[in-house]
Amino acid sequence: MKFLSLSKWFLMVLCISGMLIQYGCAFKDIDKRLFVSAIGIDPAENVENGYKVTVKVALPFGAIKDSAKPSFAYLSREGHSIGEAIRMLETHIDKVLELGHMKTIIVHEKLLRNDMQTFMDYFIRRGDIQLISYVAGARPSAETILKVEPKTEAPASVALINFFGATANDSPYVVTTFLFQLRRDILADGINPVLPLIETNEKGDELIVNHSVVVDGREDPTVLSTIETKYFNSLLKNSTGLTYLVKKGSLELLLNISQSKMTYQFVSREGSEAPRAIDMHIVMKGIIGESNKDLSIAKLDEYNRLASKEVKQKILHFLIKMQEENLDPFGFGLHYRTTRLYTEDLFTAWQKAYPDIEFKVTVEVKLQGTGTIE
Amino acid sequence: MSMDETTSHTEPPAYFTRLAKRLEPTSDIVKKTLKSKDRIVHLLYLKSVVDIMQLQEIVVKPFYEMSADQNFAEYIFSLPYETKMPTGDEEVLIEITKGNVFVMIDKQITLLELKVVAANAVQEAIMEPTIHGPQLGLSESIETNINLMRQRYHKPSLIIEPIQLEDISNRDIALIYDGEKVKPHLLKKIRARILTLDVELVQASGDLQYYLNNKKYSLFPTSLLTERPDRILHNMAGGKVIILVDGSPHAIIAPTTFFDFMLSMEDAYYSFWVVTLIRFLRYAGLFTCIMLPAIYVGVTSYTPEVLRSELALTVAASRIGVPYPSFIEVFFMLIFIELLTEASMRLPNSISATATTVGGLILGTAAVEAALTSNIMVIVVSLVAISTFVIPISEMNYAVRVCRFLLLVYTTLFGIAGMMLGMLGLLLYLVNKDSFGEPYLRMFWKNRREELEADDS
Repeated sequence: MKFLSLSKWFLMVLCISGMLIQYGCAFKDIDKRLFVSAIGIDPAENVENGYKVTVKVALPFGAIKDSAKPSFAYLSREGHSIGEAIRMLETHIDKVLELGHMKTIIVHEKLLRNDMQTFMDYFIRRGDIQLISYVAGARPSAETILKVEPKTEAPASVALINFFGATANDSPYVVTTFLFQLRRDILADGINPVLPLIETNEKGDELIVNHSVVVDGREDPTVLSTIETKYFNSLLKNSTGLTYLVKKGSLELLLNISQSKMTYQFVSREGSEAPRAIDMHIVMKGIIGESNKDLSIAKLDEYNRLASKEVKQKILHFLIKMQEENLDPFGFGLHYRTTRLYTEDLFTAWQKAYPDIEFKVTVEVKLQGTGTIE
Repeated sequence: MSMDETTSHTEPPAYFTRLAKRLEPTSDIVKKTLKSKDRIVHLLYLKSVVDIMQLQEIVVKPFYEMSADQNFAEYIFSLPYETKMPTGDEEVLIEITKGNVFVMIDKQITLLELKVVAANAVQEAIMEPTIHGPQLGLSESIETNINLMRQRYHKPSLIIEPIQLEDISNRDIALIYDGEKVKPHLLKKIRARILTLDVELVQASGDLQYYLNNKKYSLFPTSLLTERPDRILHNMAGGKVIILVDGSPHAIIAPTTFFDFMLSMEDAYYSFWVVTLIRFLRYAGLFTCIMLPAIYVGVTSYTPEVLRSELALTVAASRIGVPYPSFIEVFFMLIFIELLTEASMRLPNSISATATTVGGLILGTAAVEAALTSNIMVIVVSLVAISTFVIPISEMNYAVRVCRFLLLVYTTLFGIAGMMLGMLGLLLYLVNKDSFGEPYLRMFWKNRREELEADDS
């Protein structure tokens, strides 16, 4: 009896330890994986209507603290679709390509059109790619940008990730667009997605992000200048840390804006639902950061008035430029659509009305101090 | 009394001889007959357990000093040292082996408790030390221990109930409880459990606790072993039953819930926020030492995307060159750390420090240098080893150490999902468990009145 139960025990232990060896295909040790940190997409050179996919693989380094430079490997492959190219890339390496840490998708400037949704579909459907990945445009090409290894890049981290999402860099010149956001904005009527544009310097050792691209159906996408990017960010995303230069005669003021808030309403044409104007109200709070003259706190109201006038002009200029290009990065159309009772021609009415819409902008700058103690 | 009557009594009576015969041939037996001209007394005792000085003071000296008109028998029966006379030869003999002196005067017999206990010194609390609480634990003598209880709990409702166990050592066992607070059905259950035990020999509270558990393959303890009088009283005031075994410096507390094992007596001596922090740390330690090895395997081998990119790369880098899959690495290191713990526990204090240093530092570093394990693994294992000792009661400590191996097997087979499955299984097991009829995972988050109402229904 005792012997029997003992042998049963022995069998059980044997079976369990046998199971452990059969751990199966999901079990892959971390050192048998290669972590893709970013993917670049360019138009293919040899395949018609195809894409060239470049992956930036972060290589684990012996002792991370000792290694001065991050080490990356780059793999490229052309294919008819992105999925195909990545599948073929997997045959070029000895380990598993792990996309779970892929946080940045860089797309060639030329591919930034509404139809980019078709090739971006791969990233949406693949389970291990996070929808909170950043999407950015690249100039001159995605591959060049991927291969830039800036001097400030730390080992075991990727500089491209730090640029976006205000985790490290929260400059108002950097637009952040997530993968889910891009898909949503492309598929929605009445809004044009805005992507950051990543450039590099001549030596190819720096990444520069201060332009952005408005994605739309046209062949050459509209690129927002540095200043326009800043206005876009401050108005829509309430970015902080902005500076505005205000000039009045010989007086030059540089405002540090810490808060900005935009609210707007549609003004309807009499007798019809179609909008005639957009009534926009912007409140900005901040201090004076730099000046070429002595300032007095008693004259703060005057500076406020001065600043309001200047900022108003610049914003109006930007809005009208977008209107003339028939672009809607702010999503006025989307807002209009979602706040009106649905009729079949609601959106066509908006499309008709948008080119002639009038912007009534009021800017209220509330300076909280001159920046110095009197 | 006439002279020839006395002479007829010089010879020990038949009963006395019979008892003495039963005790032979042990060398420490003493049969003594005190004789004076008008009275005669027979004494039977074991000199190894009787306080000879006291015997001399209380019995022998008065015997010869008392004048003839005083009644020596009356004197003996009025002594406060008397123990209850059991019926039957066997029971009387057991009393004698416990250190009682059998006294026979004419036809009257009595037992005098004049025992001497060598190991009645109160010991320092080693297993559950506190900074602010009492520094001394229990002693190895049951009388001293009962004395300790009485000293700290002055209430007439404190009841000490002796129980004679049917094993070969005839050890003294006492149930101690507050008669007003204890639940009668619970008391009945525990008493019945002890009386129905079918064991050869009970040596200490530890093995009695194991026998009380009633199940051969049980992982979690259902009663608590403690050496601290303050913990005993804390639980007794809560209506629990304390079991003391003679010769053991530990008391058994029954019934217990899981959370009793996570309580350190130190908690009673600090302010609320400090205690909250310490408790949080303790539970964090509990979860760390159960789950961390499993998390390591699950995350590194199934779902590395859980980690931050930097950490994923660091872990991957540290695993470069490690020849075995992660779970073998973890098993290896866990068994290594268990060996280290066991070894340092068995070794004398002076050597154990050396063993831990050699094992922990040198072997750990060497294992990493030799690429047998990764750096991160050494961190994980050290963290697990440290957090195990945050659990205040050592039995729970052992149970948890076993649990993490089970969880590791689950995770190796099914990844992080397997780990959650394993945790769920553990939870189900604990919920299903009971300690002397009380739910094991019972949480006391209601107020006192609601708790009482819940008990009634």
